[in-house]
Amino acid sequence: MGCKERPDNFEQSRVRLRELSDEELHARFRELVDRIVEPLIEEARTHTTPSIERSVLLRMGFSSVECRNLVTQMQARGLLGHGAGRLVLELARARGLSVREAGMALLEGQHWELLPL
Amino acid sequence: MGVIAAVKLSPDRPLDIGEVLRGLEHYRPRRKGWTWRRPVAEQGIGPFVYRETSESLAHSVPLPAARDFGGIDPQCDMVITTEIASGRFEDDLRRMRMAAWHGADHIMVIRTTGQSHIDGLIEGTPEGVGGIPVTRKQIRATRKALDAIEDEVGRPINFHSYVSGVAGPEIAVLFAEEGVNGAHQDPQYNVLYRDINMHRSFVDAAESKRILADSGILQLDGAHNANATAREAWKVTPELFVQHAINTGYSRAAGMPADLIALSTVPPTAPPAPKLRLDLPYAVALRELFSDYRFRAQQNTRYMQTDTLETSVTHVLDTLISRLTSADIQSTITPDEGRNIPWHYNNIAGINTARQTLMGLDGLGDLVTVREEGPLRKQVRELKERAVLFLEEILADGGYYAAVEAGQFVDSGFYPERNGDGIARDPQGGDGAGTVIPREPGYGAPVCSHFGHNYYDPANGRACDAYGGCTLCDPSKIRYIDEPDPEDCVAQRLQRPLAERAAGLLRPEVEKHGDGIVCVTLFVPGETATAEAAALEMARRMGLGNPEVISRRVMHPAEGSLFELKGVLDVAIAVDELQLPGQADVLPEADIEAWVRPRDIHIVAATVGEDEHSVGLHEILDIKHGGIEKYGFHCHVLGTSVSIEALLDMAEQTAASAVLISTIVTHADMHCRHMQHLHDAAEQRGLLPRLLLVAGGSQVTDALARAHGMDAGFGRGTTGRDVASFLVQTLRDREPA
Repeated sequence: MGCKERPDNFEQSRVRLRELSDEELHARFRELVDRIVEPLIEEARTHTTPSIERSVLLRMGFSSVECRNLVTQMQARGLLGHGAGRLVLELARARGLSVREAGMALLEGQHWELLPL
Repeated sequence: MGVIAAVKLSPDRPLDIGEVLRGLEHYRPRRKGWTWRRPVAEQGIGPFVYRETSESLAHSVPLPAARDFGGIDPQCDMVITTEIASGRFEDDLRRMRMAAWHGADHIMVIRTTGQSHIDGLIEGTPEGVGGIPVTRKQIRATRKALDAIEDEVGRPINFHSYVSGVAGPEIAVLFAEEGVNGAHQDPQYNVLYRDINMHRSFVDAAESKRILADSGILQLDGAHNANATAREAWKVTPELFVQHAINTGYSRAAGMPADLIALSTVPPTAPPAPKLRLDLPYAVALRELFSDYRFRAQQNTRYMQTDTLETSVTHVLDTLISRLTSADIQSTITPDEGRNIPWHYNNIAGINTARQTLMGLDGLGDLVTVREEGPLRKQVRELKERAVLFLEEILADGGYYAAVEAGQFVDSGFYPERNGDGIARDPQGGDGAGTVIPREPGYGAPVCSHFGHNYYDPANGRACDAYGGCTLCDPSKIRYIDEPDPEDCVAQRLQRPLAERAAGLLRPEVEKHGDGIVCVTLFVPGETATAEAAALEMARRMGLGNPEVISRRVMHPAEGSLFELKGVLDVAIAVDELQLPGQADVLPEADIEAWVRPRDIHIVAATVGEDEHSVGLHEILDIKHGGIEKYGFHCHVLGTSVSIEALLDMAEQTAASAVLISTIVTHADMHCRHMQHLHDAAEQRGLLPRLLLVAGGSQVTDALARAHGMDAGFGRGTTGRDVASFLVQTLRDREPA
């Protein structure tokens, strides 16, 4: 499963690092790390997951069981990319309900046809 | 945040679990976020001035040798961690209380096997395996008990668990809501060790980290697991820098401040490897590369076998490395982790290893520094260069995900060496694959502590203002679920323990309440395999159920081996049927002195036989050791290796009221013979009616002394006041009315 075997070629590979001072080596280390991390954090900025969406509904005052049911249904209907919290809050605003009432209505099978708002 | 139905502990009473569980639905944590110890510079405690200590505790159990220093219990400047994992939180609470009394202020609760793969939160109090299922009720009850325990010991206790698996963001919210103070969060751990999809793991992690950061929860990373996995752990050190760097860089990018990020690091080797020569350059290089961050120093588990003493010695060396470099948190490992699920008293053993070592090393930096000239600097530089080369290859090959796919991580080769045995993962595979969803242009999450693009991102105010606040702003909105399963829950598990406690029954235990497990140590003088079979049979004949050898140490292949065995002792003792040994009355010091001083009482004392020990006797007699001279007794101390005859001659010359002998050497029952000899000789001289005979020594008991003709015997832990109380009471009774 692992990568191809390779002997320890450190003495050849290090040649170009030898000239760097310790500070320069540390700076190089940090710069490389930032470049590795950048695409990873960009994906997080622009994507979501069922767990993130359940965690949003938890923060809006739903129980773990309610969060699971709501997010599973939103995912099945292809709505999760709008954000579970947004779907519930905008439904509440449109129907003059509290956030909790809007979520409970969805759990009872109501108003799904209005989503996304 | 109000504290409702707070528990108040009393040092002389066990924790009442019923009180902890009562009113939990209304409980709110009293604070959020991590707390460090408060250092005190140049702190005078007892006879010493310490350089690296923090505020002392109100209640604690000091180290055993503290008895000779006035019972002091100095606390080091590092937070001390213990990991607790019995599977039943209700038993863990008692273990936490014991740990806090021994100086732990970071309680790390291990999760049950498999929780990483549960997509969502668990509720109630189901029993776990190798840890507890992390649920709202269990962590709320634990935090509530820890509030009471920290009040009892007088120092804040940090409660810690894990934000990993496929429900990370939800667990992070739960921890923020319930006042958990520290958490492991490292998406690489999910990928490498739990085979959770890497995209899912990293996207979840950014949200989790943001939640942890906003609540002031200290984050630990998971890099140290590579040590525990690799065959030759010291060769994965370049990779450890890379793993620390990726999690640290990712955490910063998600908005976590540097002072909430702790690197979890383990000295990778154990003797007979030349440990410090390998581990110290690594520790120095790590602290130089990550100088902005905190360090959580863990003790080595990779090379632990079943010998708890061997393990403890390795852990002392680990702790020495912490003191030679730096550590904000010194974590401890139970020395029995290599042979069973940790037993509660071994949590205490692990804590004491760190505490004893750190007190012993107090102020080391004033005397010793790590040498800059010599091999260290070269090794440090080499490790850093190897790590930089690793990072370069990750980028050259297409980034982190491609590197994991290529099996670059947890390879046993010393990078750039590769042995082809790394852990490779498919970026499109693993648990939770295909669940990462692109955010629509209008994506929104109207809550606090949310990471990334968000429609509700008000320049002023909070994202949750539209509906009056999220649970992080208004905890009254938290939905508490009590018990979904009436069978697998704490109330069922407590029935027997509570009934037995009410009936005053006691059983031995090591892990769970009244589990009956005991450990016996046996040396068997025979060839190893035969000796082991015999040891097992002996345990069976002792009446132990399911006996099992948990440690074997060959003393000599033919002469014999030492075994530790565990088994179940199915015995419940009724407390009210016990005969407790009578406690000698200790008189008030003023009363002793008031009676002694006007009476001119002489006492003759010596260490008898061929015995040069004098420490015990001095402690009982000398005024400067708090001995009985201070009450006004006239003490004639004849020294060591004194004959009984010389002792009695002096008693006659001084018309002494009592003879005190110290007898330390005990082989061939010498102590018994000396006591008998003293009695017989005193009787022969006709001294007995007016001369009290008292013996002391580490193996002496009152019963043993009386059996050999003494008026009293005093063993380990005796003070001058104990002896003086006996003398005064006895002499007073003999005085004519």
